[in-house]
Amino acid sequence: MSNPAIAHEDFHKFREFFYRKTGILFEDNKRYFVDKRLIERMEATGNENFRSYFTMLRFQTSNEELQALTNAMTVNETYFFRESYQFDCLVNSMLDEVVDRKKAGDPVRIWSLPCSTGEEPYSIVLYLLEHWAKLDRFDVEIFASDIDTEVLKSAARGIFTPRSVQHVPPALLKKYFTKLASGNYKIDPDLAASIDFSRVNLLDPLDTRQFREIDVVFCRNLLIYFDDTSRRSAAEIFYNAMSPGGFICLGHSESMSRISDLFKVRKFKDAIVYQKPL
Amino acid sequence: MPLRKSKAEDLAQPLDQPVLTLEEALDLLDADDPAVRQSVARSLGGDHRAIEALCARFIAETDLPTREALAVSIIRTGGAVAVERLLPILSSDDAALRNTVIEILQALPADVAPHMERLLDHADSDVRIFAVNVLEALRHPKVEDWQNAVITAVRQYNVVGTALDLLGEVGTEAAMPALARVTTRFGDEPFLRFAAANAVKRIGAGR
Repeated sequence: MSNPAIAHEDFHKFREFFYRKTGILFEDNKRYFVDKRLIERMEATGNENFRSYFTMLRFQTSNEELQALTNAMTVNETYFFRESYQFDCLVNSMLDEVVDRKKAGDPVRIWSLPCSTGEEPYSIVLYLLEHWAKLDRFDVEIFASDIDTEVLKSAARGIFTPRSVQHVPPALLKKYFTKLASGNYKIDPDLAASIDFSRVNLLDPLDTRQFREIDVVFCRNLLIYFDDTSRRSAAEIFYNAMSPGGFICLGHSESMSRISDLFKVRKFKDAIVYQKPL
Repeated sequence: MPLRKSKAEDLAQPLDQPVLTLEEALDLLDADDPAVRQSVARSLGGDHRAIEALCARFIAETDLPTREALAVSIIRTGGAVAVERLLPILSSDDAALRNTVIEILQALPADVAPHMERLLDHADSDVRIFAVNVLEALRHPKVEDWQNAVITAVRQYNVVGTALDLLGEVGTEAAMPALARVTTRFGDEPFLRFAAANAVKRIGAGR
């Protein structure tokens, strides 16, 4: 490798490009993190300097390298109560608006996708049980989907590592989990039984067409892995699956406004989310 | 527990959709019900035989979700016909429609490429600006050549400014002579001189 170092101007050029493509902005204090991964990807793709790598990244029709780099730049860790301000927003604001529009007997539908090994849908259940006073008055249906059948099996088993549950308050850990001899935690089977886990490829219309009248969607840190067209397609699929006035929560680095005009921004006390117009 | 488990597959099923012939589907693109138009638009995505009708419906469509469904289907289909039908919309006064067309064109680099030089030399300066907007996200090896042509020949301040900004990202040493000429051509425009110097600095950093 003749010139592996990333010059200051190159870092800024990359940062602007990457932000435009993914919505992820790296501050100057992330320089080491970014440089390290860029150099790793340059080496992996046989590019001897930043310029040739950036040209590949910028012009590659398949988007393959941008995908690989995005994978390298993002941390795919899932755990209970991750980005919990959105769960606060769910129980403090979104659901109240949703149920105001419900007719008697209509269920509230929440869809978590991708649900990975289940931390997100179970977090939703725990928030509803612990923090939403109206739960006694409305039926809530929770759907959790992922393209990966192995993670779905794991989610349905409901066994989690101590690291995964580290942000669950001790009282809730005691109330809803059983500590296993292995040191892991098994969630209350009643909670597991309250969630419908299903395999869904978001971009396959046959997989998504049964999802209708969804009131709240959690789709966090998935769209950053899609190309522009697939993001746009996904937004349209969500729009179709949701109730008028329904809400969608994206990851902190994702913005629906940069994907589609179909949703409007809603700023609540706890979080900014997107809403299908009424 | 008020949490009620329902199976996703048991949710309200969409209306049974009979298998449509191409002619029937094309007819339904003009159905009164936007939901029908959206559904048909989605089903026709990728079918080159439908591209004329998809573009025509897209241009006429006023329902935003249906327009979006049509846009996604047009992108998925692509092709020279799609680009030829949509290029005239760059002159439209409907900003939302025009912006969606720019996004569609950005997604079809191979089909847009044969038209790029003509667009950048279009008599309407607005169309020239929109052509540069298309270039901003176009994945095509000639992007730098086109930008060099813009900063060499175009006189509009904002067109050149946009092109300089992009050259800072995609430019190579091949852009240096054209960038040097910007300083001479726009000697009394401090922003353009700054933008050109910035592009030179960024290109130089990658040497």
